Amino acid sequence: MTASPRIGSLRLDGLDFAFPTRRGGRLPVLDGIDLTIRGGGIVALIGPNGCGKSTLLRVIAGLLEPDRGGAFLDEARIADPDPRIGLVFQEPRLLPWRSAADNITYPLELAGWPADRRRERLSTLTELVGLDPAVAAARPAELSGGTRQRVALARALALEPAVLLLDEPFSALDALTRERFDLELLRLWDRAATTIVIVTHSIPEAILVADRVVVLSPRPGRVVADIAVDLPRPRTIDDLDDTAVSRIGREIRHHLGDPEAAPAATTSATAAASMAVAS
Amino acid sequence: MSRGVWLPVVGAFALFVLAWKVVVVVSGLPPFILPAPETVAQRFVEAWLQGLIWPHFVTTMVEIVLGFAVGVTLALLVGYGLARSALFERLASPYLVAAQAVPVLVLAPLLVLWFGPGLLSKVVICGLIVFFPVAIATMVGFRSVDARLIELGRSLRATPRQILRTLEIPAALPNIFGGLRVGVTLAVVGAIVGEWAGASSGLAVLINLARGSLFDIPLMFATLLTVALVGIALYLVVVAAEQRLVGAR
Repeated sequence: MTASPRIGSLRLDGLDFAFPTRRGGRLPVLDGIDLTIRGGGIVALIGPNGCGKSTLLRVIAGLLEPDRGGAFLDEARIADPDPRIGLVFQEPRLLPWRSAADNITYPLELAGWPADRRRERLSTLTELVGLDPAVAAARPAELSGGTRQRVALARALALEPAVLLLDEPFSALDALTRERFDLELLRLWDRAATTIVIVTHSIPEAILVADRVVVLSPRPGRVVADIAVDLPRPRTIDDLDDTAVSRIGREIRHHLGDPEAAPAATTSATAAASMAVAS
Repeated sequence: MSRGVWLPVVGAFALFVLAWKVVVVVSGLPPFILPAPETVAQRFVEAWLQGLIWPHFVTTMVEIVLGFAVGVTLALLVGYGLARSALFERLASPYLVAAQAVPVLVLAPLLVLWFGPGLLSKVVICGLIVFFPVAIATMVGFRSVDARLIELGRSLRATPRQILRTLEIPAALPNIFGGLRVGVTLAVVGAIVGEWAGASSGLAVLINLARGSLFDIPLMFATLLTVALVGIALYLVVVAAEQRLVGAR
């Protein structure tokens, strides 16, 4: 698990981060985060609202500088935004005056790619994220929420990042669309071979996509649990009915501070009940 | 454009002309107070064919275009500065507001005194009157740029220049065009007011001539019509530019 030859490994080492408050004080948001993510792994970050999940993602993305400790990509300190890291925000964040295609190739344009290479890369990217080429010329306002997020995903993958960071990327989508996107994300992960860190509110989503679910405490965020999801891959929606899933789910809920969800060993009655429901 | 788009416009205009005609007939006002629409139309065509309006039209157009260009250029720069620097805004805004609060009608004679009765004073007056709305619209436009888009730009390692060119300017453009729409009509007012305060050529000079020594009230109306048409045409140019640059979002 630790020593991996694959690129895209992340190491967070004693990360502290505090926002300055208006009165000149400091509001601690992250408190001593230690985390190692092997290259090619998928980790879900889960935690209560305002626990610093998004802040943590921004530190990894090089957008925020930690007060103490550091984030490392393949053992090199991340001090600024890095082209090897792609970022997908909670909302699609597309430029409304550009077509879907020009939004996708925007990072390439900033990086100075010539137009013909951008076009070439565009067709690869639309295919990769399953975007209908017919919508390439449409403006974001003309697209559905799901299609917009697909465009945002393609944009994040434009520079072939080794790490893909996703900040509650599918939370605005309806439940069914969301599940479809989760599975597509897995397929994409298979092909694009990136490390994925996904922030989510959804326990089923975390279990469906991740190798590991990292649970953060309320602010200031600390790692309170690091739970392995040992379900075989490739996964399907039906895997969510598995008993292992309800066990893992209960464990996550327990660490999130839900008093109803004690660890599996002490609540065999509820475990049996949920098993009965699952089968 | 299809017939469906223009039909109501033409209809409304016909109604306006008809109302005008009705007022003339019912009130029985003499032509030197209110000429009938067909009298004005006839004089308008005549005066253009005779080349009576043309030189004045050219003078006024040059003033408007130059004044608008100068005013807009300065307004864009200052508006951007106001949006970027709180200190600059605090220092500059009292003067900007004061310059706007003093009616240009009062300033015009002074500016003609300073800059002479020629083109320069008109460009200054035009530029001055255009400046304020465009500067404010530019400031508001740059302030309203979505911070999340800037963060996106930063995450993609955009340079400050790239952020300005690919994010801030396109995002501010709809607001800026709001200011330009107001500004372009004010530019016409500026040129006319400037000519009123002292000039030897221009549409306002022709209006004065028609009213005074020529005592040709239909010509005065024909010139007024020309001024109105100039305003409409320039406004439509701005709208067309807006549609090209801002388009559907």
